[in-house]
Amino acid sequence: MAKNHTRYIFSMGELKRKDNSIAFINEKGNFYIPIEDTREIYCINEVSFNTKFLDFVAKAGITIHFFNYHGNYSGSFYPKDYLVSGTLTIKQSIVFIENRLNIAKNIVKTIAANIYEVLYHYYRHDKKELKPVLDWLKNDADKFISKDITIEQLLFIEGQIWNRFYDSFQYFLPEDFVMNKRVKRPPDNPINALVSFGNTLLYTKTISSIYHTHLNQSISFLHSPGEGRFSLSLDLSEVFKPVIVFKTIFDLVGRKQLQVQKHFDKNLNYALLNEDGKKIFINAFEERINETFMHPKLKRKVSLKHCIKLDGYKLIKHIVEGREFVPFSLKDKM
Amino acid sequence: MITGTLINYYFHCQTQCWLHANRINLEDNSEDVRIGKVLHEIKEEKSKQAEIKIDNIKIDRITKDYLIEFKKSDSDPQAVKWQVLLYLYKLKQKGIQRLGKIEYFEKNKEQKSEILELDEANEEELLKVLDAIEKLISSATPPPPKFENKCKKCAYYEYCFI
Repeated sequence: MAKNHTRYIFSMGELKRKDNSIAFINEKGNFYIPIEDTREIYCINEVSFNTKFLDFVAKAGITIHFFNYHGNYSGSFYPKDYLVSGTLTIKQSIVFIENRLNIAKNIVKTIAANIYEVLYHYYRHDKKELKPVLDWLKNDADKFISKDITIEQLLFIEGQIWNRFYDSFQYFLPEDFVMNKRVKRPPDNPINALVSFGNTLLYTKTISSIYHTHLNQSISFLHSPGEGRFSLSLDLSEVFKPVIVFKTIFDLVGRKQLQVQKHFDKNLNYALLNEDGKKIFINAFEERINETFMHPKLKRKVSLKHCIKLDGYKLIKHIVEGREFVPFSLKDKM
Repeated sequence: MITGTLINYYFHCQTQCWLHANRINLEDNSEDVRIGKVLHEIKEEKSKQAEIKIDNIKIDRITKDYLIEFKKSDSDPQAVKWQVLLYLYKLKQKGIQRLGKIEYFEKNKEQKSEILELDEANEEELLKVLDAIEKLISSATPPPPKFENKCKKCAYYEYCFI
């Protein structure tokens, strides 16, 4: 499990099936990727391939995620589902109708709790200005979510939680990384670029994880299933954002491993990571997501990446057996 | 219709049986399952005779005297025994009489192969078992798992104990 099953392709070239292996060919030569322990491929640069190749990776159950030149997510190659369960899809829909709000509430509660954990680290290291936001996360947010509210009110509080989190960056990030406003498409400053890139990576990781379960990707609980995307992946990735994406960003920025002048594209007002920046970010992201720790309940070593899949199992358990869905908590490590 | 896998699972673990019957078969990364599959393939290649499918059961091989089931190891002989008895029963209904033979690739404790016969006593017992399985898998939720040593190797371990 400690093995890294993800391959990133940063340079231009061609992906091919070569006997029973994947070959990546560019002007530097042929590189072979063993198919056995590959689960996903990220194409960060321009890559060409044919349907024979796609058929090959589909048989191996590999998902491929594509990014354009600007590092924006274009889409995924998602092989035909091999774990299809009509029964589970029906039950998942019933749970959506009958219990959507409760699942969504548990997700938002856990977002707040995980953000609290992340910020508390800085509070303990003398950033006392964080006290009000910590108190708000712990008391007000939680109290509001526990009330008898609608899904719209819940989404509003979720927005509040993220906004207050972004506002708090000013207390512990260097000035050129402080976020005045979260802007998504396209991001307009370095921190927004990092958040967008990180969230997308996490979203695609979640897509790959859910692919290996019976869950139906389009029936979601916090996000509206009408969004027409793999909205369940948006749901399940949410609580991992503070833990994986933001902790990676804070570490890289805090240790000056990512710098505005060096790692962002100046031509675009520093609102995009350059190639070096992407590599640094992805390396740190992979390291974090693959780091293992002892799961207190399973009593075996798991990685954060694996915890995403385990959250999928928890959701299946809720759907099949009615056990409450409690997403991954940074504090409890499960 | 109860398959060989299901009756095997029923004796191995009832939670696994329920989940499998209700089409919640989790991804299996285990090396043992892979070895098992490969061993089947090797045997097939050698004999130039593919598995035989009758109704919803898959028979590894059938000879003049025997119905043969291949297993990687003899870790759960009870489960395999009933799986083979089910096959013999299905064959009998088609008017085919055979003895059952289980061949183990790796043996831990017992002999390398085992001969079974479908007689009146175990046929009656088999029918009771099939009824019990029907009842189990049609219940709304799976029976709660009991943790045992074998659980650690199971593809459902994480689902069961998360």
